[in-house]
Amino acid sequence: MTITETMTHRPVRPADRSAEKAAAKLRRAARARTGAIAYHTAGAAIVLFFIAPFVIAGLSSFRNATEGQTAPLPPWPRAGFSVDSYRTLDTFGAGIWQHTVNSALVSLSTVVLTVVVSLLAGYGFSRYRFPFKNTLFVLIIATLMIPFQSILTPLFIILAKLGLNNSLFGLTLVYVTLQLPFSVFMMRNAFDAVPKEIEEAARIDGARDLRLLVRVLLPLVLPGAATVAIFAFLNAWNEFLAALVLLSSNEHYTLPVLMMAVRAGRLGAINWGAVQAGVVVMTVPCLFVFLLLQRYYMRGLMAGAVK
Amino acid sequence: MNMMAREMIHSGSDVTATSVELVDVRKSFGAVEVIHGIDLTIPEGSFVVFVGPSGCGKSTLLRMIAGLEEVTDGLIAIKGREVTDLDPSERGIAMVFQSYALYPHMTVRDNLAFGLKMARTPAEEIAARVASAAGILKIEHLLDRRPGQLSGGQRQRVAIGRAIVRKPDVFLFDEPLSNLDAELRVSMRIEIARLHRELGNTMIYVTHDQTEAMTLADRIVVLRDGRIEQVGSPREIYQDPDNLFVAGFIGSPRMNMLSGAMEEEGHVRVAGQTLPAPVSAPQGETVTLGIRPEHLRVAGAGENGLPAQVDFSEYLGGTQYLYCTLSDGQAITAEHRAPGAIAAGTLVQLAWDVGEARLFDSQGRRLR
Repeated sequence: MTITETMTHRPVRPADRSAEKAAAKLRRAARARTGAIAYHTAGAAIVLFFIAPFVIAGLSSFRNATEGQTAPLPPWPRAGFSVDSYRTLDTFGAGIWQHTVNSALVSLSTVVLTVVVSLLAGYGFSRYRFPFKNTLFVLIIATLMIPFQSILTPLFIILAKLGLNNSLFGLTLVYVTLQLPFSVFMMRNAFDAVPKEIEEAARIDGARDLRLLVRVLLPLVLPGAATVAIFAFLNAWNEFLAALVLLSSNEHYTLPVLMMAVRAGRLGAINWGAVQAGVVVMTVPCLFVFLLLQRYYMRGLMAGAVK
Repeated sequence: MNMMAREMIHSGSDVTATSVELVDVRKSFGAVEVIHGIDLTIPEGSFVVFVGPSGCGKSTLLRMIAGLEEVTDGLIAIKGREVTDLDPSERGIAMVFQSYALYPHMTVRDNLAFGLKMARTPAEEIAARVASAAGILKIEHLLDRRPGQLSGGQRQRVAIGRAIVRKPDVFLFDEPLSNLDAELRVSMRIEIARLHRELGNTMIYVTHDQTEAMTLADRIVVLRDGRIEQVGSPREIYQDPDNLFVAGFIGSPRMNMLSGAMEEEGHVRVAGQTLPAPVSAPQGETVTLGIRPEHLRVAGAGENGLPAQVDFSEYLGGTQYLYCTLSDGQAITAEHRAPGAIAAGTLVQLAWDVGEARLFDSQGRRLR
């Protein structure tokens, strides 16, 4: 049997084929619809799961004073929206504004100092050759292994000797110190990823020292710097133990320390409304910073992963 | 040493035609010396190509002229002015890198203008110079894009444009075409030659590609292991190599190097045959006879030649290369331009004009 015979053996009827094609098209459409439904259902479930804590805290912070005395179950206000909880929160410590300003001051100073120091240190470690460079770098990284709690007492004594205990500036210095090993590591990697030729081209173009760093290199390591900034902000904003130990006067407390007082309640009575209001006050800036910097942050973490 | 060298530069500066002068330039990385005392004078307006195998120090030398690499010893002068310890931006040079090294966060316009801004050039002049450079390179329509949105060839144009706006005395090119594909490389090569003709500046160009060296250069500097092997025009380098290294490095397929010994009266014995030598040398001396494939021909009937067995042949259309073995096992490559095919296994007689052969002593130096 020849090939032509095989090919002509089964005559094709056009009508049959078009019906088959229509059926295949339907099948494909059905499959795509099922896929889309599954995809969006799963996505919605995950979103719900992650957003639930924020919604619960947010809603329950708007319950009125009476409801605020009871545990947040169910979490939504049943007797109408009210800002009673925020008013109550303001009666703790030196007032919520004072503590928010304290926290913001400490966190933002930590961010600025950490970014500046780690930018310079990362550049130095990445670009200069000097004796014991790698030993020094490993030593800096190695401090990540020291549990923070173990150096709290020495830190307290050092700050006392320097006259910096119970001051927000002293606390900031401690936070910067804790933040630096990771940040220097991060910034060194960021600078390592910048081709040397770009720097050399800039040198030929006449950019030197600070202008070189600010005009040419900083925009290129911005993802790394944003990552460092996010970590520094979140860690300083949320830090509790050092703030509790190193700060002794009421008006210097940062938000986490205040929250401890709020959570402990007055005379054994916990004001759940105030607790939830405090949670909201503490969460909003973190969300804001993260959303502001997240696109740089993702790039910073991915840097060097793929060429 | 430096005092003397300094005087040499100052006396040399009378000759206004000198653009770049290197006096006993050395470079060490730690205890390892990689550039061993380079003396070189580059005339104004010339196109000089540094060529050599990788690791020969050609890029290091260029970077020393640029000021990106410190000079361990020796002096560098540009236009009669000693620049050895000056900052790269103060030397009157501009450099084009292999990786383009554009500033990725700036538009093309800002890339071009950056050096001028750093030098605090007035804004109108910056705009004029950027426009003129963009015109020369035909990149006006790209000025508002970022490097990431450009193709490789366009990026290289921008990199060259960034050099042009600086109006340098000397252009430095560090393997600028290595990242481009073959077709683009040829067109950019022509572009760079055109640019040199239009601007008339001194250009120093580093490459490992001998085609680029041959086609672009007024003068080729062949480097090996941090030393200059030969300086000359492409024609001189090709036809009149000073030593075996230069002879073997330039030319493709490379020159055949047949080892032999001198015999009496200007003859040399190679693979059991006594052949006429291009120059004479003391009898019995070990020599190398260099002969380029294109100077070899398959001898006709009755003509004497060197018997060789064809191992295989490559047909390239206009020509074919015969890869052969001599009776003593030495390999020899011949270019065969006649249309007839020569099959592997054929025994041929290879002949050449004695004037085309070059003779080298046992140290690899040219015998003239």
